[in-house]
Amino acid sequence: MSYLKALNLRQAVALLRGNPGRIRVVAGATDLSLQEMPQVALDITALPETTGLETADGFFSLGAALTHSEIANSHPVRHKATALTEACASIGSPQIRNVGTLGGNVINAAPAADAAVALVALGAGAVMINLEGKTREEAVEDLYAGFNQTIIDSGSEIMLKLVIRPCAANEGSSFERFASRKALALPMVNGAARVEVVDGFFRSVRLVLAPINPAPTRLLNLEEKLQGAPVTEETYKKIETEAAAEVEVRASLLRCTAQYRSHLIGVLAARVVRKAAERALERK
Amino acid sequence: MPKDLETLTREKKVETDFQSSEVWAKVAGKAVYGIDLILPGMLYGKILRSPHPHARIKSIDTSAAESISGVRTVITAENFSCKPYGIVVDDELPLACGRVRYIGDEVAAVAAVDWKTAEEAAKAIKVEYEVLPSVFKPEEALAEGSPQLHEDFPGNVAWQRDLERGDADAAFGDADLVVESAFSIPAIHAAYLEPIACVAVNDNYTGLTLHTALQSPDSVRTIVAKVLEMPLSRVRVVGPVMGGGFGGKVYGNLNLYIISSMLAIKTGSPVKMLLTREEEFIAGRPMIAAEIKLKMALCRDGTILARESDIITDNGAYSAQAPWVSKTISERNDSVYRIPNIKTRVRLVYTNKVPTGQYRSYGNQAANFATESLIDMAAKKLGIDPLQLRLLNCTRKGDLTVHGLQIKSCALADCLQAAADEIGWEKKIRGRGYGLSAAIHANGSIVFDKNFRGASALARLELDGRVTIFTGEQDYGQGAHTAFTIIAARALGLPPGLVTIQSRDTLISPFSLGALAMRQTTIGGRAVQLAAEKLREKIEITAVEAGSESTGLREGAVNGSSANLIDLAALARYYHGKTSGLNLVGEGKYVPEESDYDESGYGNISVTYSFAAHAAEVEIDRTTGELTLHRIVAVHDSGRIINLLSAIGQVYGGVTQGLGMSCYEGYLFEAGRVANSTFADYKIPTSLDVPVIDYQFVERGDPEGPYGSKGLGEIVMVPVLGAIANAVADAAGDWVTDLPITAEKIYQLMAGWECE
Amino acid sequence: MDNQEVVFTLNEELVRVYADPAESLLTVLRDKLGLFGTKVGCGRGECGACTVLLDDQPVNSCLIPFGKVEGRRIETIENLSRGEEYHPIQKAFVEKGAVQCGFCSPGMIMSAHALLKTNPQPSLQEIKTAISGNLCRCTGYKQIEEAIASAAEKKSRR
Repeated sequence: MSYLKALNLRQAVALLRGNPGRIRVVAGATDLSLQEMPQVALDITALPETTGLETADGFFSLGAALTHSEIANSHPVRHKATALTEACASIGSPQIRNVGTLGGNVINAAPAADAAVALVALGAGAVMINLEGKTREEAVEDLYAGFNQTIIDSGSEIMLKLVIRPCAANEGSSFERFASRKALALPMVNGAARVEVVDGFFRSVRLVLAPINPAPTRLLNLEEKLQGAPVTEETYKKIETEAAAEVEVRASLLRCTAQYRSHLIGVLAARVVRKAAERALERK
Repeated sequence: MPKDLETLTREKKVETDFQSSEVWAKVAGKAVYGIDLILPGMLYGKILRSPHPHARIKSIDTSAAESISGVRTVITAENFSCKPYGIVVDDELPLACGRVRYIGDEVAAVAAVDWKTAEEAAKAIKVEYEVLPSVFKPEEALAEGSPQLHEDFPGNVAWQRDLERGDADAAFGDADLVVESAFSIPAIHAAYLEPIACVAVNDNYTGLTLHTALQSPDSVRTIVAKVLEMPLSRVRVVGPVMGGGFGGKVYGNLNLYIISSMLAIKTGSPVKMLLTREEEFIAGRPMIAAEIKLKMALCRDGTILARESDIITDNGAYSAQAPWVSKTISERNDSVYRIPNIKTRVRLVYTNKVPTGQYRSYGNQAANFATESLIDMAAKKLGIDPLQLRLLNCTRKGDLTVHGLQIKSCALADCLQAAADEIGWEKKIRGRGYGLSAAIHANGSIVFDKNFRGASALARLELDGRVTIFTGEQDYGQGAHTAFTIIAARALGLPPGLVTIQSRDTLISPFSLGALAMRQTTIGGRAVQLAAEKLREKIEITAVEAGSESTGLREGAVNGSSANLIDLAALARYYHGKTSGLNLVGEGKYVPEESDYDESGYGNISVTYSFAAHAAEVEIDRTTGELTLHRIVAVHDSGRIINLLSAIGQVYGGVTQGLGMSCYEGYLFEAGRVANSTFADYKIPTSLDVPVIDYQFVERGDPEGPYGSKGLGEIVMVPVLGAIANAVADAAGDWVTDLPITAEKIYQLMAGWECE
Repeated sequence: MDNQEVVFTLNEELVRVYADPAESLLTVLRDKLGLFGTKVGCGRGECGACTVLLDDQPVNSCLIPFGKVEGRRIETIENLSRGEEYHPIQKAFVEKGAVQCGFCSPGMIMSAHALLKTNPQPSLQEIKTAISGNLCRCTGYKQIEEAIASAAEKKSRR
């Protein structure tokens, strides 16, 4: 294997073009040793385009090669995309968070990837560049193609950044996970929500839970029902019962039974919506 | 302050702060562990393991592997006799002879110039299997017509014991209350951070040397010599630093040592082998899983009349120490309380799963979970406070227990009271759960070998005035050598910094049974004390002979008036010259009284016994069952504490292991395959999972142990299990009876779900 | 097995190493460079025994492809002491009884070292989080936490 570190985007695209069928884009590369090695690994963590963290045209633009630690330590993100901060801070261990990247969390497409769940709840988009140097943007939730698979071809495309509309004054977001150990653990269930509250009523709710499907799963029916619902205990109770009813979950020998996971989905759904709503109200 | 007291205080402080010099190498990254060893010309060995839980080997073709460049040899069962060996029962083979019995069974092995070539070659060995029916559950293995694992053990029973003391049946007939319950404990891995590694070297002059860190190197070399049919004096074990053991490295992984030895014999080169973390889980030696059915008879006033147990332990494919562990599970807890009538049946059963061994406290902790839960179940039914029920029945100093244990020192009642007081038993916080648990542990077993009960040590005065202690007892981080240093220094009136412990080479250290059954401080330490006292005696005699008027020993010199002070170096040189080369040596042997231990297992099995009581305070999230541990209080009667810093470290570490076994750990299987063979899935506690741990030592001393001390290293993890189980039950209203106690199981219990 | 030249800073020295860039940094440190202080506990980033600092941040060296360290700064446990001169964190580990078998100690000390570089006066919770990726089976972590707190306190007093 050769390991190439691109210094700028033009070089990166040229390397992709020059090594068809044998190159793979890597960032944190933490899973590289555990998977089959490509002939050429193209490290994109030194590009200005993949490592910036800025606000442009009213959007957060987060480089895809930013590490979980970098995201978790960002004050603007903590303030206006809190769910993402909470998700990134809960991944694996400090050592993993210092290497693993935001883009990698999406592209590896592990079920219940914490950052990806938060990104989908926040309504994030991902920007990719292809061999021709053309960029395209897709919603993160539309990137998934199956178990551990996305529609991004790491041999011919580079994810550059993730874009998120920051929370406005009447919005809030939240992420939570349930795991059997407080560090170094994959979650049994994780979930995130982004809500907008106007005059004591939910104007909009994005509610995402995992692992249910290969992709982080939005509870679309419930989201719709919550539009215009009052911010009350009754509503949270309704979320708890209806979230569990809306989805089907699998059992896992290593984590928990389907019955318990289903119960946790309800509990977690209510918790993240409640927390997001509290944040929306605090911010005013 | 009077002078003597001042000196004493200063000495005590020196001892308390003393840390053996090895610790500096450890923090500097300079300590050499098994995985770090490199020898000139060294080859690397790799094992091919069975992919099937049960299969007949039809053929093995090693030709492709042998033809790979860099491969030096490939071995199979043909290189050994197909005669099974074992620690307790003979059922194990270095490499499978015609049959494999679990996923991971050793089939063949290679030695090559590097790891990659060895791995590639192992994969290139072609094995044809005929898959046989497997059995994974002990109950099914016991049933008629189930697949049989070993011809020599019909019915899949590796070991069995039926025991009755007193008249249990009559006692159950007379009882006011009978409580019963079944408990389930999964297999638990010791999960030492350093995977087992060894380098085998063989040459015609010195014989076979195994460089590997073991808790009991002499026991291992005895077995290795026997299997390889070599004279015992031709097999030597030299120990690098040990990266944790916890019982898992008493015998370590015998097949690994035997296979690497054979590879070294065949190639004439040193051969390094190690277990990957995955191999540790699939082919290491976890402690047996157990199904424990318990029944207890009590009077209305809480007096315990009898206990009956029916225990099935899951051996996996081969036995290691599992019979001894099964025995401990079945009887040790009978001596925590005064229980006059006992009826016990324990069966160790073969299944097509990972073979088993032992873990810190020999299964006493598994039994504690069951027996202490049952005590609280009884207390609840009788309406008696669980503390009072324990105080009413607990074993006390001077007792002769139902199994014949002679209790010469015991502060269990004080431990229970102190644990209850400290946790706030009388001022419980609403919404929280509180639990207590008590334990006994044998401390310095004298029945492993009735003819070899104790330990010996040598103390040698070096020419520079320092003292070297030779012992076969091992330190693997638990602080045994620190304790030995302090004991020897105290006996010799030397600062601890002048004492060095040498234990890591079986060629020069006295033969020993090793670090097990909390022998180290009590038995090993006593031998060190006696050796040091003997040396002191010789020093004093020689000093008089050399013209010293006084014979007091202090601070490395023979004290007299300052005019005729002779320092130890001068004295050593005097003796050395006079004898043309001898050193002053003190020999110490500690031979405990012969045990009255009989065929039925009745009798005093140990030099003395340690006791402990733990208390736990927990809270449960009622929406999810999630458990928050607020605090564990650990109160121990380990006699007088030799080294406080080490003792506290043992408590913190042992309680944390108990917490891991209570709430997180346990093997999971899918059709015989270990489903959680990584540290991500086999979860030991992280720093964020450990609650506040408070400790207390009730220091009453002991007539047997050196300076009144008793063992601590194993019992520390025992009562945690029962304390957490009872605290959870106090909060949840009922007991989770299968370990680990997860949020899911707690929630199921509270929600009244039927388990899926 | 195509070796590649990788230039990086190792323990404050610029080094040039030819090695397979797909090898882990851990393997290169131990097998090529003879730095055995960094330990191997699992090889999968699940125990922290192989923790080293990459540009001052703790990482699992078993998960870093060697090619990735080009132009970066690596610090290992070997950089913390010189002969009998020990780093304050190492001294605190010895004084507080934070070392039993010692196998997790190098990785644990590197995590602590990284923490105190950026956060000289951490809270107990911050200490716990900083070592949450380092498994220890012997100590229950308490004396390790005390040692880190004590090293921080001594540093701030100086």
